[in-house]
Amino acid sequence: MNCEQAKTQMLGGTIPGENQGEEFAAHLASCETCRTESSRIGALWQSLDLLPVEEPSGKVRERFYEMLGAYRQGQASVTMPVKQAWPRMIWQVAAAAALLAVGLGIGYGVREDRSRPELVQLREEVASMRQLVALSLMQQQSASDRLRGVSWSYQVEPSDEEVMNQLVTTVNHDPNVNVRLAAVDALRPFTGSPATHLMARNAVIQALPKQTTPIVQVALIDFLAELKERNAAPELRRMVSDPDIDSGVRKRAEWALERMQ
Amino acid sequence: MSRVFSYVTVSTLVNTRDNVVMAEVGAGQVARLAVLFERHHRALFRYFVSMNGNREVAEDLVQEVFFRMLRYRTSYDPAQSFTAWMYQIARNAGVDQVRKRGSAQVVDIDSFVDRRAELVSASPGPEESVSRGQDLALLRRAMDRLPEDKREILVLSRFQGMKHEDIAEVLGCEVGTVKVRVYRAIRALEQIYFALEKEKAS
Repeated sequence: MNCEQAKTQMLGGTIPGENQGEEFAAHLASCETCRTESSRIGALWQSLDLLPVEEPSGKVRERFYEMLGAYRQGQASVTMPVKQAWPRMIWQVAAAAALLAVGLGIGYGVREDRSRPELVQLREEVASMRQLVALSLMQQQSASDRLRGVSWSYQVEPSDEEVMNQLVTTVNHDPNVNVRLAAVDALRPFTGSPATHLMARNAVIQALPKQTTPIVQVALIDFLAELKERNAAPELRRMVSDPDIDSGVRKRAEWALERMQ
Repeated sequence: MSRVFSYVTVSTLVNTRDNVVMAEVGAGQVARLAVLFERHHRALFRYFVSMNGNREVAEDLVQEVFFRMLRYRTSYDPAQSFTAWMYQIARNAGVDQVRKRGSAQVVDIDSFVDRRAELVSASPGPEESVSRGQDLALLRRAMDRLPEDKREILVLSRFQGMKHEDIAEVLGCEVGTVKVRVYRAIRALEQIYFALEKEKAS
């Protein structure tokens, strides 16, 4: 390998899936000029990581789902470049949103009224969209996104098992304490739904021994005390007698046991 | 409750490959586009902001890209890389937008870039402090001053984490050419950076 060929390989080791190879390594070992250059531009390449990351506003998501809804109703099928598109799209989206609102209002009124299947369908579509957003956000790498996903979960039906299961997974496994805490709170509506209350209660009990962070342990204990969940008593008693557990948490477990009496 | 959409499970959200999801959109399950939106809209936004420096325009363009995906959904070939296809659409949307803006008003690109540079130096943030040997405000100005083609290839390879193969598909060139162009772009960035550093010192 000569210097010219080596130049095109210099960034290879910094790009996922790219490999610089043995020839490149051998060339660097024997060429000080390339070695210096490789180290210099490699450092510059890495420092690009430090540039502030721009985040879109929440409007982007809002507008996307409005656009998708409008498109699905066949109102956004016109060929439009950006600048011309938006004034028309805004009207279309506004009209679609108004239709959606009317549809939802009537949909809630008629519930499962089979005589108005299109309204029931519309309502179900919106529910599915919310579920999709909540689940998808809770899968993201960024903790702030996962937190937003947890917030979205309040907008789904509390009978939605899939979202409930994802919240439980978040409580048990999310590496971020704030996200775990938010997920504990977000499980509350599910304990009030006939479809999910048993599963939700059991999930909270089972989450307790998995937590090691005192603040999350206390949040779970408070939740179980609030539910007066007596099935949690054996685990709470174990915690009270476990000297390895934070003393504040043990006191809280003791308090919860008294409250359940 | 019967589902109108295909039932979205946690595992499909995590594991289903983009090209499979896009194929489903093409087959009529347009709501599945939301999965792709959630996965890619931030990266697309960063691409557009890096290219045109305007958040509002970048948000419009993100919207336009997903709109075009819907319009051209049946033309997507699942054997093709979804990322490459998406950035081809993004580039076209960006070019159309510049054309449109250009016809509405004459924009002096140099003065636009210079204005961005002034804004950066007038409002020093935490990144102004020298970190790991690099002055980040200078680095950002250097990025802004890079010629568009070089900035684009750096954005695609560095910020979007795209493979050289996908970039080659987006730009319509050979993988070897991509490697050379990435190298030239980072060298050009280095030269601009050092020039700015000299300006600052003098």
